[in-house]
Amino acid sequence: MTELAPSSDPNLTPADGGSVPSPFWQAAVGAAVILVAAGMAFGALQIPGDAGYGGVGPNFLPWVCAAVLGLCGVLLVREALTGGYRQAADPGGAPRAALVPFAWVTAGLMLNAALIVELGFIIGCTLCYLLAVQGLRRANGQTGRLAPRALAVDLFTGLAISAPVFWLFTQFLAINLPGLTTTGWL
Amino acid sequence: MEIFDALMAGFATAITPANLLWALVGCALGTAVGVLPGIGPAVAVAMLLPITAKVDMTASMIFFAGIYYGAMYGGSTTSILLNTPGETASMVTAMEGNKMAKSGRAGAALATAAIGSFVAGTVATVVVTLFAPTVADFAVKLGPPEYFMLMVLAFTTVSAVLGQSSLRGMTALFAGLALGCVGMDQISGAARYTGGKMELLDGIDIVLVAVGLFAVAEVLYAALYEGRVDESQNRLTRVHMTARDWKRSVPAWLRGTLIGTPFGCIPAGGTEIPTFLSYATEKKLAKGEDKAEFGTKGAIEGVAGPEAANNATVTAALIPLLTLGIPTSNTTAVLLGAFQNYGINPGPQLFTSSGALVWALIASLYIGNLMLLVLNLPMVGLWVKLLKIPRPQLYAGILIFATVGAYGMRQSTFDLFLLFGIGLLGVLMRRFDFPTAPVVVGMILGPLAEAQMRNAVSIGEGSWWIFLQRPMSLTLVVIVLAVLILPRSLRHWAERNLARAHQSVDDVS
Repeated sequence: MTELAPSSDPNLTPADGGSVPSPFWQAAVGAAVILVAAGMAFGALQIPGDAGYGGVGPNFLPWVCAAVLGLCGVLLVREALTGGYRQAADPGGAPRAALVPFAWVTAGLMLNAALIVELGFIIGCTLCYLLAVQGLRRANGQTGRLAPRALAVDLFTGLAISAPVFWLFTQFLAINLPGLTTTGWL
Repeated sequence: MEIFDALMAGFATAITPANLLWALVGCALGTAVGVLPGIGPAVAVAMLLPITAKVDMTASMIFFAGIYYGAMYGGSTTSILLNTPGETASMVTAMEGNKMAKSGRAGAALATAAIGSFVAGTVATVVVTLFAPTVADFAVKLGPPEYFMLMVLAFTTVSAVLGQSSLRGMTALFAGLALGCVGMDQISGAARYTGGKMELLDGIDIVLVAVGLFAVAEVLYAALYEGRVDESQNRLTRVHMTARDWKRSVPAWLRGTLIGTPFGCIPAGGTEIPTFLSYATEKKLAKGEDKAEFGTKGAIEGVAGPEAANNATVTAALIPLLTLGIPTSNTTAVLLGAFQNYGINPGPQLFTSSGALVWALIASLYIGNLMLLVLNLPMVGLWVKLLKIPRPQLYAGILIFATVGAYGMRQSTFDLFLLFGIGLLGVLMRRFDFPTAPVVVGMILGPLAEAQMRNAVSIGEGSWWIFLQRPMSLTLVVIVLAVLILPRSLRHWAERNLARAHQSVDDVS
């Protein structure tokens, strides 16, 4: 069995125009658009087409979207296969994705989403901040070590942002945000 | 006189202490988000949309308008002082502003940008005051076919004309329209694309999409690709303009305003064209040593003109928003969402049904402009300090605010997971150079356009010819086609001419 080595495959390395993704991935995005269009068309089958007085029912726009997206997808694939997307601007940044920082940020967002009701807004968001800032620091080329002192500073900063935000929104603007307690202060 | 009385009544509402405070907080917050990289006015307004549940409508509109405005002022500060290209609106300002700052004239550049924004903003507000009621009077006469075609015009310009590629613009627009389909159909009540999930029956909230696409995507992109950002900051000098600076700036401000205002009035959107036009005009009109400063030491006209054009466009864009209910930018699209949260759809009826609100909003624009001038000239040093916040901490902090916006709207954790998904979509779109504005505009305007279309077709008793049978609607069809075809043929023509010119040069040599 041959080993999958994306980095050595010329199709998978970025084109030399800065960080513009390679035609392979551009075609993949086009294909994804086609898939979405197909999904939309499938979904449109289940929407009643009863037009009432108008002659146009609730399933009309979904069909239009499915058709146009499908066409756009096909054209995107064609552009990708014939020299790449036209006039694609360099999105900036590194040519390759840094997955470790991304994982940190993702973990922060996911844990926050999963635990915010149980832990309350302040603790959930502090956790999110704490994890995200570790990832973003690595992305920024800063040290990847978890020094206790830096962690403590991050923890404090996270609390110092989320607590006032929580108080501002719950006390002053009377917006419901989840709390660990029902006091409205934590 | 009628307008004057209405405006005075508007001022009476806008200068109550509470509303003044809202305006001040909005302007300050707007300036802050304008200065900070990675977060713009559309996200700021979107994240704060939950306040519409509790805060009085007039107060929150004044607040949002302050953010909308303030961000324009703040954006120029960043583009002048920071040597990294920012958003497109301030890209042109950055070209000359950066050069001025490098040759030790940051203060003059900041001053001409702020005063120019004030001049243009105020003139454009006068235009809004005078013309919005007239447009509204006219717009009352429009029926569903005309409305639908106006929205199609907005869709076309936002997706096909602005940006690099019509194909990617269209893809983004239809993705937005598709997102707008999710939920209960407004007319028949049929569920569309809900997959049996109760959370989706109300549709996907605009806050989620705006915050996800702009804020979360920005943070994820920074984590994935941005790596080390090499940032250097120019030194801030005393904010002061010499007599010669004034003499060069004033005509540039006025020309910029003149160029920018009409672009804001038409439902076409985008500040790129007017700012670039203003820049080109200033460069062409400059003479002698002033001209030599362009691209070398930095010419003050090159900051004054585009900055004025930018603000004039942004202000005048309120005309199509208020009178026709047609947003032409991300921020106005989100503002439309704010109106909808109060159960009102901006449009010609707005001036009669919610006259007090509209006039208070317009009055607050005058007040806001004045506040921003004070906030940005003597106090610019304060805002510059914001640029010292390190990126990792700033971006991680943005996530906290994103959570408030997304969760505060509906109190659903489902939305937080969805937020991450939309953020990933935003990363993909940025990486593959798909514009994001059409998604937001399509999503907000899509359901409205669909309703108008269905009403129009039912007026035509099921016939699609209705769009060609009415003179106004037919005119709009022609304009839409022209907007689609003309720029492309012009480009082709220019390219051909250029190629021919090259060829003849080659032949000679």
